[in-house]
Amino acid sequence: MSAIPEVTFNLSPNATLGHRVDRVKSNVMLALCIGCAAMALFLLVLVISFLAYRGASSISWAFFTQAPSGDPHSPGGMLHAIVGTAVLISMASLFGIPVGMLAGVYLSEYEVGSRIAGPVRFISDVLAGVPSIVVGILGYELLVRPIGNYNAWAGALALAFIMIPIVSRTTEEMLRLVPDSYRQASIALGATKASTILQVVIPSATGSIVTGIMLSIARIAGETAPLIFTTLGSRLIPFYANADQGFELSKWQDLNQPFPSLTKQVYDYATGPYAEQKNVAMAGILVLIVLIFCVNVSIRLVARRHANAK
Amino acid sequence: MQPPDPDQLGPAVAFDFTAKRAGINYDTILSVVTRACAFSILLMLAALLIVLSSAAMPTIKAFGFSFLTGHEWRSNELEQPRRNADGKLVFDADGEQIVDTIPPVFGALPVMWGTAVTSVLALGFAIPLSFGTALFLIRIAPGKLVGPVSFLVEFLAAIPSIAYGIWGLFVFGPFMQTYLEPWLNSLFGSVPGLSFLHFDGMPTGRDMLCGGLLLGIMIVPIITAISRDVLNGVPRAQVEGTTALGATWWQSSKEMLKFSRSGLFGAVMLGLARAAGETMAITMVIGNNNQIKASPFAPAQSMASLLANEFAEASGGMQRSALIEVALILLLMSLTFNVVARKLVVGKGARTAAAH
Amino acid sequence: MVQLLKRAGIAMFTSLAIAGTCYAETRLQGAGATFPNPIYQKWVTEYQKANPDVKIDYQSIGSGGGIKGITEHTIDFAGSDAPMNKKEIEAAKDPVVHIPTVAGAVVMAYNLPGFSGDLKLTGPIVADIFTGKISKWNDAKIAEVNSGASLPDLNITVAYRTDGSGTTFVFSNFLATQSEDFKTSVGASKQVKWPVGQGGKGTEGVTAIVQAVPGAIGYVEVNYALANKIPFALLQNKSGKFVKASLESVSAAGAGAVDAMKDSLAVNIWNQPGEEAYPISAFTYIIVYKDLGYLKSPEKAKELVKFLKWSIGGEGQSLASSIDYAPLAAPVKAKAVEAIDALTFGGAPLK
Repeated sequence: MSAIPEVTFNLSPNATLGHRVDRVKSNVMLALCIGCAAMALFLLVLVISFLAYRGASSISWAFFTQAPSGDPHSPGGMLHAIVGTAVLISMASLFGIPVGMLAGVYLSEYEVGSRIAGPVRFISDVLAGVPSIVVGILGYELLVRPIGNYNAWAGALALAFIMIPIVSRTTEEMLRLVPDSYRQASIALGATKASTILQVVIPSATGSIVTGIMLSIARIAGETAPLIFTTLGSRLIPFYANADQGFELSKWQDLNQPFPSLTKQVYDYATGPYAEQKNVAMAGILVLIVLIFCVNVSIRLVARRHANAK
Repeated sequence: MQPPDPDQLGPAVAFDFTAKRAGINYDTILSVVTRACAFSILLMLAALLIVLSSAAMPTIKAFGFSFLTGHEWRSNELEQPRRNADGKLVFDADGEQIVDTIPPVFGALPVMWGTAVTSVLALGFAIPLSFGTALFLIRIAPGKLVGPVSFLVEFLAAIPSIAYGIWGLFVFGPFMQTYLEPWLNSLFGSVPGLSFLHFDGMPTGRDMLCGGLLLGIMIVPIITAISRDVLNGVPRAQVEGTTALGATWWQSSKEMLKFSRSGLFGAVMLGLARAAGETMAITMVIGNNNQIKASPFAPAQSMASLLANEFAEASGGMQRSALIEVALILLLMSLTFNVVARKLVVGKGARTAAAH
Repeated sequence: MVQLLKRAGIAMFTSLAIAGTCYAETRLQGAGATFPNPIYQKWVTEYQKANPDVKIDYQSIGSGGGIKGITEHTIDFAGSDAPMNKKEIEAAKDPVVHIPTVAGAVVMAYNLPGFSGDLKLTGPIVADIFTGKISKWNDAKIAEVNSGASLPDLNITVAYRTDGSGTTFVFSNFLATQSEDFKTSVGASKQVKWPVGQGGKGTEGVTAIVQAVPGAIGYVEVNYALANKIPFALLQNKSGKFVKASLESVSAAGAGAVDAMKDSLAVNIWNQPGEEAYPISAFTYIIVYKDLGYLKSPEKAKELVKFLKWSIGGEGQSLASSIDYAPLAAPVKAKAVEAIDALTFGGAPLK
C-alpha cells in the first residue's frame, strides 16, 4: 500500500504571488526538461548519423566478399570477420538459447516449492550486468590456457555466458504473461505438466520469446571485449579452403584456432593509423548498426501484432 | 450423423508426451533438465568468483591490502644503482657498481581513481538528461511522438559500445580537443579556487573528461528506458490527484519522481554499473596513463581499460595475477551495484533492464 | 521424429569428424611484435599466393604477447624485437632460437603544425622529453640543436606503448645509454612506467596518437611514419652526426652485428659507432623452440621451416626494402639460415 504523497500548497487567498512563482518555476522546469530531452536525443542522433554516414560512404560489395589483403593501404574486405561473427553467434546460440530458455521455463513453471528459483532469478539479473571483459578473462582462464591456444569455442562460450541470463529472464517474463487458464485447461484435459509446457504454454508465447532471443543475439553481435582474450582475431576466412573449393564445412578444425570477428577487426582497424583501414572499420560498424536496427524494428512489429491480436 | 468412435481416433496432438512408454517419463525429464539449466546459472556465478579469486591469489598474498591503496603500477623491474646515505654510489669489493633490482609493484589506486572519476562524470551528465527525457516521454510528449522517441531510445541503448568508442575517437575527442578543452583548461587555471583542476600540458581529447562524457552519452538510453518504465508504474490516480489539488506541472512531476525514487535510484545504479564496467568505448578516449591526477584533462586509466590494454600479453605470474585481481575488484563492484539496483527496480522495467 | 533427429545428429557429427581429420591443409599461427607487422603481413600474403595449401596468420599484439604465446604454446611462432630475458628463457624450459628477420629503425615521429623542415634531436634531449623534464617544444635545449628554426610554443605530449613491446625495449634501452637519470628512474624493458604522456596499443596506436594530437611525439617503427606521412626527427648518433633513419643508416648500424652473434643470434644494434649508423636501429626476431616438436605434426614443422627459409633466406628479403625494412646483410643472413637448418623435430633433423 503506497503512502499518499504529502503535497503542501499555499491555499490562502493572499497567495497569488506564491502561485505565480510556482507557475514560473514550473514553466522553467518544463522548459529545462524539454531541453534535456532535446539535448539527449540530439547527441544520440548525432552519434548514429555520423556512424551511418561514414559507414555508408565506405561500404561496398567488396566489403562483403573479399578477404583482407596484407596491404594497409587497400585493406580489402571483411568477409572473414562477417563469417567469423556469424559462426560465433551460431555457436553461442546453440548453447545459450536452449540453456537460457529451459532456465526461464524452470523459473516460470516450476517455481512453486523450489528453493533455488528465487536465488536463480536474482542472480540471473545480476549476471546480466557483469562487465563483458570480466567474462572474457574467465573464458581465457577456463578455455584458452588449458587448451593451449586461442580458439572459437572459448569465444562462443563467453558469448553464451552473456546470453544465458538475458534469454532466461525474458523467457520467464514472457511465459508468466501466458494466462493461467491455458495451463489449467490443459491439465483438466488430462495432459501432463511436460505436455502442458511444451505444447500449450510455450507455443502461445513464441513471438515474445523470439523477441527476447533476438535481443540477446543483437547484444552479443556487438560484443568485443569477451572476444579479445578468447579468439585473438585472425585474418583468415574460417571454413574457406581456397578460390577453387570455396567454403568447406569439413574444415571445422578452424574452430580450434584464433578466430576472426567483426567487432575485433573493427577495433584493430579503428585504432590504427591507416585511413583506408579506418574506412573499412566504419563500414563494419554500419553493418552492426543495421543488424541491430532490424532486430529492434522486428521486435516492435511483433509486439504490435500481438497487441492487435489481443 | 454418428459421432466419431473414440477408440478409432489417433492421438490428439502430434507427439504424445503423456505416454509413459519405454520407461521415458517426459515429466521427470523436463523437470530435471530445466532444473539443471537453472542451476547452471548459479554455477556460472560461482565459476566467475572461484576462478578469478584463485587466479588472483598470488597477488593477494603478496600485496594484501596495499594493492588497493598502492598508487604505482609498474610491471617491469627497475635496476637502480645503490646509493648510500650521502647519495654516493656504492661499489662492491671488485670495484663494480652495486645495482639493486627493484621488483615490479602493483597498486590499483590509479585505475580505481580513473574508474571513479569517469563514472561520476558520466552520471553527472547522464542523470539530468535521462530523467528529463523520461519525464518528457511520460508527461509532455504528444501521443504520436512517444512511440518513435521510445523506439529511438531503445535502439540507441542496444548500440554496441565499440560504436560509441569510435564516435568518441573520431568526432567527440577531436571536438573537445579543439574547441572545448583548451578554453576550459585556461579557465580553471585562472579562477583561483579551481586551479587544482588545471592540467599542466595540452588537453588532447583523450582524458578523463572525454571518457566520462562519452560514458555519460552511452548510459543515457539505458537510464532513460528504465526510468520511463518506472515512472509509468506510478498510478494515474496519484498524478491526477495532485493536479486536482492545484499543483503545477513541475510540482506534480516532482511528486512522481519522489514516489518512484527507489526505482529511479535503481535505474541510476544500473547505469553506473554499466559505466564502470565499460571497456571498448573508454579505452579509446581515456589516454591510457596509470596515474592519479586531479585534473579531468589528464589522461588516466580505468580498471576495464587497464585489462584491455595489458592482459593480452601479461607475463605469467605476478602481472597476470595482479590484472586478474583488478578484474575481481571490477566484478565485485559491478555485482554490488547490480544487487542494489535490482532490489530497487524489482518488477518494474524488468524486461528492459534484463536486456541491458 | 525424435529418433530421426537423434540419428541425423549422430550421422552428421561422425561425418564431420571423419572428414575433418582427412582434410589436408596446414595452418600456421604467429603473433607478436607490431614493429615488423607490415613486412610480416606482406610475407604471409605473398607466400600464401605461391603456396595455397598453407594458411598462415600473424597477429600483431606486441612482443610481450608473442613471447608469452610461444612459451604457452598457444602459437606456432613468435615475433619479437626484444630477445627473451633470463626469466622468460627459464619459463620456456626448452631451448629457444632467435632468428633475425629484418632490421628496422625506431624513429621519433612528431606532430608540429607550422614547423617545416627537419627536426634534429639528440639522445639526452629525447630522454628528457620522455621523463617530462622538457615539456615545451620551444625549450632552449631543443632550439640549441635546431639553430635557426622557429619552434612553436606548444606543450609536448608524449605518446608511448601500453602493451609489452619490443619497440619499447629497444627505445628504452637506447635512452638508458643516453641518460643515467632515465636508466634509474624509468628503466629499460618491454613495458615500463612512463612518467608522462598517453598510451596507445601497438605501434598502430602510438602512430594514431601522434597523428591526432598537435605537439605529440612518439616512438614508432619508421615504416609506420612513412606510410602515414608523419614527419620524424634526425637523431644524433654516437659519432656525433645527425642521421635520418633509412635503409642505409640501419644497415650501417647492423654492419658489425655478425661478430657479436656467438651463442645467440639476438644482438643489440642500437647506439653503434659509425658515421652513417642510425642510433635506434634494431633487429626483429622470430622466436621458435629449437625442437619443433610442440607443433605436434612433422608436416607443420616442415611447412614452418619452408616459410622461414623463404622469408629470411629467400625471396622475402627482396620484399623488405620496398617498405623500408633493411634486409639482412649477407653474413647475418647466412647465420640465420644456419639456425633454421639446425631446427629439429622430435630430436631428429627435419630433412
